[in-house]
Amino acid sequence: MKILATYNIKGGVGKTASAVNLAHVAAGRGNRVLLWDLDPQGAATFYFRVKPKVKGGGEALLSGRRELGDVIKGSDYDNLDIVPADFSYRHLDLMLDDARKPLARLRKVLSTVADEYDYVFLDCAPSISLTSESVFRAADALLVPVIPTTLSIRTFDQLDRFVDENPDIVRKLRILGFFSMADSRKRLHRELMEELRQQRPELLPSQVPMDTDIERMGVHRQPVTAMFPKSRPARAYQSLWDDILERL
Amino acid sequence: MTEFHRFVVDGPSDPADTLAGLAEQFHLRENEAEEFDRRFLDTADGRLHAEQSTLEVRSSVEFPLMCSLVWMRGGQVLASARVEPGATPGLADSLPAGPAFDRLRGLIEMRRLLPVATVRSRLSACSHLDSEEKTTARVQVDVSALPDGRPLPALLEVRAVRGYEDETSALLRAMRTHEAFDPTDLSTADLAREMTGAAPYLPGKLSLELDPRATADEVWREVLRELHDVMTANFQGTVEDIDSEYLHDFRVAVRRTRSVLQEGRGVLDPAARDHFRAGFKWLGDITTPTRDADVHLLDHPTMISALSPEYGDALVPLHELLLARQRSCQAQLAQDLRSMRRAQLGAEWTEFLAGAGPWADAAYGDDAPDAHRPAREVAAQRIERAHSRLVRDGRTIDDASEPEALHDLRKDAKRLRYLLECFGSLFPPEELAVAVRPLKSLQDVLGEFQDTEVQAHALAQFGRQLDAEGADTDTILAMGGAIEQLSVRQARARREFASRFGSFDSPAVAGAYASLTRGATSKQKQKQKPGAKPKQKMTSKRKRRSGR
Repeated sequence: MKILATYNIKGGVGKTASAVNLAHVAAGRGNRVLLWDLDPQGAATFYFRVKPKVKGGGEALLSGRRELGDVIKGSDYDNLDIVPADFSYRHLDLMLDDARKPLARLRKVLSTVADEYDYVFLDCAPSISLTSESVFRAADALLVPVIPTTLSIRTFDQLDRFVDENPDIVRKLRILGFFSMADSRKRLHRELMEELRQQRPELLPSQVPMDTDIERMGVHRQPVTAMFPKSRPARAYQSLWDDILERL
Repeated sequence: MTEFHRFVVDGPSDPADTLAGLAEQFHLRENEAEEFDRRFLDTADGRLHAEQSTLEVRSSVEFPLMCSLVWMRGGQVLASARVEPGATPGLADSLPAGPAFDRLRGLIEMRRLLPVATVRSRLSACSHLDSEEKTTARVQVDVSALPDGRPLPALLEVRAVRGYEDETSALLRAMRTHEAFDPTDLSTADLAREMTGAAPYLPGKLSLELDPRATADEVWREVLRELHDVMTANFQGTVEDIDSEYLHDFRVAVRRTRSVLQEGRGVLDPAARDHFRAGFKWLGDITTPTRDADVHLLDHPTMISALSPEYGDALVPLHELLLARQRSCQAQLAQDLRSMRRAQLGAEWTEFLAGAGPWADAAYGDDAPDAHRPAREVAAQRIERAHSRLVRDGRTIDDASEPEALHDLRKDAKRLRYLLECFGSLFPPEELAVAVRPLKSLQDVLGEFQDTEVQAHALAQFGRQLDAEGADTDTILAMGGAIEQLSVRQARARREFASRFGSFDSPAVAGAYASLTRGATSKQKQKQKPGAKPKQKMTSKRKRRSGR
């Protein structure tokens, strides 16, 4: 079981859209996929039409009072299951702080379903906190969407610094950055992407475009890869998944 | 994990109308119905059927070029992939790549997927939705017909989506109590096979249920008949080399037959016994080269994975050599199996089992004193004897013993195992299980020890051949590496032997064997107490091998 977390310190960069669509793409290729919506806002949960409620809340899961398998909900798609968001997740930091070995906690909870899934996607809330550190420890790779803007790139640098300065937390974590919400009509986007690709050749080659079809996910409550499988963003997520597989 | 129910739709109304009625009652959303041509695949021993899954090549009637390979269980797709129209997946390596199909590969192992049923189906589906328009259950009506137009009973399947079992309980209750729905475990493929009178799947294990009150000669013949059925069922697949498991199962049946004949001293007519022991020895011997070649090919991927990645390609010439060798051995085997000698053996054996022909008047009397004794009593004596022999010979093995001593011990263990497998149903199943478990564990380590040695010898021989043919240095080096890996495994098995044998030669296991055979024999004699010195004589050959 590989654990992949969509993560960025900054919000609004396409984390949830990436988690939802990549999970759908991976499941569509015959993998058994679990998506855990760790963001108390519950956008991923909303897209899959699941109610944002976990019996006993996050505390029951982290303490082991409730098995992760008991709160999993099947999505409308084969091989794709969801652990819904819960409003209590806004206190995840406090819950982890109270737990024994907080950094290892998330991985331990996930280990109970290791035989059932090939890939787990963690959709994380933006921030650097105890929760995100626990995610770093649990995950095999961080999928980091980067909007080609100066501010977004600065937050990517911040993440890099954190990784360099905290080898005990990140251990063997791979950082897989990719451009998200890229608008090739904007000169600034084009220039920044070109410059950044030279500076960071490790960035994944595929990029997810800014596209209204992605916006429509909220209306249809479906992944764009299910709604419009031939669309530009759907093709981008397909090829992004190929890039990720190559690096795992 | 998810709840799944299947019903046969019985009654005068069109199943689609029945579904429409349900849709209205339970606010189901009807999805578009689609028509498919479906070719179901399974292994000869029904591995998919056994774990209640189905694999099908499915093509849309409307778009015949849209063709998929779909593996399903309990209404849930486990793996699917687009395939070329007319695709016929066979062995594991012909399945699409990816982890989902890796699981299927693990299930079928070395077996070939064969077409087992063909139907045209109209699949109508509905979704049971909650207030968020989220699907909480899927309902499907499957109306299928055979290629000749004969309709199959319509099936209705309901699968609750994981985590939504409570939301669908009312729907399921209504279905369970619906007068037109009868619960069934049969899939569309099962129904089609039933209707076309398809041959049953090959059994994986012997399905003997022997009568403990029967006489020894009755039971011995029943076991031999069952083994004959296994040989017959696997004969054609062995000749045609459909997959390596046909030959494997054929050989096991031959070996068991030889063992039952061997243990038939005093039970079967001595002349017949000698005649057929020689016949089946020949039959076993002619299958050995092909089986060895199969084993080399089956082990090839494991051998590559144990080496450094850069040597993977270096072993291609070896793989080609193994393939050529297997083809040539198989051609010879097919010829031998189609020979007059084999046909005559088969005909004589059938006559013997039926008590007909020259064997009809096979006299027992003094030459077969055990023939009319209770089978359980005779089998218990044989088991007791084989167990004592295994214990006695095992105790003579120490670190200085020659490898041959372990090979001989493997034969002792096999002899006991065959007795337990063939005559086990005469004894209480729970006691049988306790006796088999430690024996199996001992056999595993003895098997590993011998197999690694045989493979290392064969590899060395192939290496010399390839070297003489001017093979690349990398190939020879990689083979040297593989031989090294085998010797490491063999050494590990050798070290493991003492502890496995120690577990087998324990008071608890001796007690299990004593308990298994207790009461079966009237003149029960406890020849050997656990931990006591063996009293039986050893042959001089064994003495030499064990270093005594």
